[in-house]
Amino acid sequence: MISVKNLYHSYSNDEKYAVKDVSFEITEGEVFGFLGPSGAGKSTTQGILTGLLQLQKGDVTVAGYDIKHIKNEMFNKIGMSFEQSNVYSKMTGKENLEFYRKLFDVKTRDPQELLELVGLGDKGDIKAGEYSKGMKHRLTFARSMINNPTLWFLDEPTTGLDPSIASEIKSIIKEKNREGVTIFLTTHNMFIADELCDRVGFIVDGEIKLIDSPKNLKLQYGEKFVDVEYVDGKEAKKESLSFMEKEDIGRLKEILDSYEIRTMHTKEATLEEIFIKVTGRELV
Amino acid sequence: MNRKILAVFLRDMRVSTRDFVALYIIVFPVLFSIAINLFVPGINDSTVNIAMLEGDNPEHVGYFRDYAVVELFETADDVRRRVEKRDNIIGILPGSKDYYIFAQGNEPEGLVDYVKTLRAYEFFGVTAEDTRVEFSDFGNTIPPIKKLMVNVAIMLSSVLGGMLIALNIVEEKVDNTISAVNVTPLSRGGYILGKSIIGILVPVVGTITMLVLTGFSNVNMFQMLMMLLATSIISILVGFIEGINNSDVMEAAGNIKILFLPLMGSVAGAELLSDKWQKFFYPIPFYWTYKANDMILSRSGTWGKISLYTAFVVAISAVVFAIIAPKIRKGLEH
Repeated sequence: MISVKNLYHSYSNDEKYAVKDVSFEITEGEVFGFLGPSGAGKSTTQGILTGLLQLQKGDVTVAGYDIKHIKNEMFNKIGMSFEQSNVYSKMTGKENLEFYRKLFDVKTRDPQELLELVGLGDKGDIKAGEYSKGMKHRLTFARSMINNPTLWFLDEPTTGLDPSIASEIKSIIKEKNREGVTIFLTTHNMFIADELCDRVGFIVDGEIKLIDSPKNLKLQYGEKFVDVEYVDGKEAKKESLSFMEKEDIGRLKEILDSYEIRTMHTKEATLEEIFIKVTGRELV
Repeated sequence: MNRKILAVFLRDMRVSTRDFVALYIIVFPVLFSIAINLFVPGINDSTVNIAMLEGDNPEHVGYFRDYAVVELFETADDVRRRVEKRDNIIGILPGSKDYYIFAQGNEPEGLVDYVKTLRAYEFFGVTAEDTRVEFSDFGNTIPPIKKLMVNVAIMLSSVLGGMLIALNIVEEKVDNTISAVNVTPLSRGGYILGKSIIGILVPVVGTITMLVLTGFSNVNMFQMLMMLLATSIISILVGFIEGINNSDVMEAAGNIKILFLPLMGSVAGAELLSDKWQKFFYPIPFYWTYKANDMILSRSGTWGKISLYTAFVVAISAVVFAIIAPKIRKGLEH
């Protein structure tokens, strides 16, 4: 569905690349998470894939179209949900969707149905300028589905949403993926990536450091820990011990034999911890 | 018209009617026409006013009524008081031998002479029917100041069309919606065309409304339309560039006013300066527009002349287009 080979991009048209030598493939029906801290090159890559930025160097095909010579019809297959909500504030929610649907050549979805899907069913006749930040974000998200895209670009789809709405958004994403939609998810939220993505790519300083499935990454880079809280004399103590280290396993046995255990929890390495381990950078 | 281009235009139109500044621009031609009609009377309203006594000889009063507007007063003092008012009115009162004419002293000389002549004709019993002169005219019933004002208003209307485009682009920039449109099958050209329609249609409808309301409905509308479309090019280009360069509605509206300078300069140059200075205005499209509009409003413009002036405007606009089109394309990328 997406093929990127040796992609470079420089905003200053010199050797200062925002994205350098990026290559990856995304197959049909896959949820691919593009993860990295701010300024890593996520948005630049996504901008090129969606035609918002001009391709300077490299080979990119999206939904079967060569990005070097973008055809307008390509956008009939693509949906794009922006990180920063971008809706017409002087138009109502419904008018926003009605206008947008007229720009496509394919069968589009009913605006009211989409509004209801994202919890804005009763807010369709209110001007978007009067919406809260979260409502605008949901409207932007709803708009990206209007043309029934087969390739869906989602840029931080749950940012700024309260947990219940974020959960609904995640359910919609999962449902669309079940229907066969390929999803390119850009985020710095590792929990969402872990929950939704089949594979993730770590990008830092414009370069892809690693691509694999969250499961494989955890197997390869993650350590299983156990957090144990016990009573030593009158004092409560807490230790975090690895299942992978012999010394730690021995210590755990010792604690179990010698002390009164208060709590004990196994803990799997998070994607965030793996990211930090692999890239040496935090996701800020 | 392409469905998507139409959608862009209708969206802009809908939003413009919800914005006070844009709405004012749309209704400007109607407001301006009313103002022109109020402050600049047509030739039919330009009259000679005469104040006379109510008890005067009815035949005498009737004669003057055929050629002027006569106001009657009870006493000679009333007539005098009326003449002393600010407007131009001549008093005719019976004297000991003949009628005498009196005025404030600041009336146009021609007006006093006209009343004198009327009195002389009346004395000798001469009427318009006694003339052997054949009369014909060009049918111009509009005073030059009115024509000038309508001409300027037409050009202004075109500039305001550009301002509407700028306002709509600024709105898109503020809402960050250009990027959303850029990921649809609507081409960049289609988007620009859709945005341009309001900058053409509003001046066209506004101009026609203005021509009808100000009594110029008998001009060659096709010539006017041709000239208007040509003038709109420059306004549209400036509208786009100002929309792209500004991120605030009032800032954009203020900056587009820069077009008023060449516009008014062209009018002043064409009207006030001698022939040797005219060449300095040749590179300004509004100069040619003003001259062409003047001919059209006078109903003296031949197709050859109007086409030539249109060509000048289009050629100058093409040069401007070549310079700023890349900036417009670049500015609409995000």
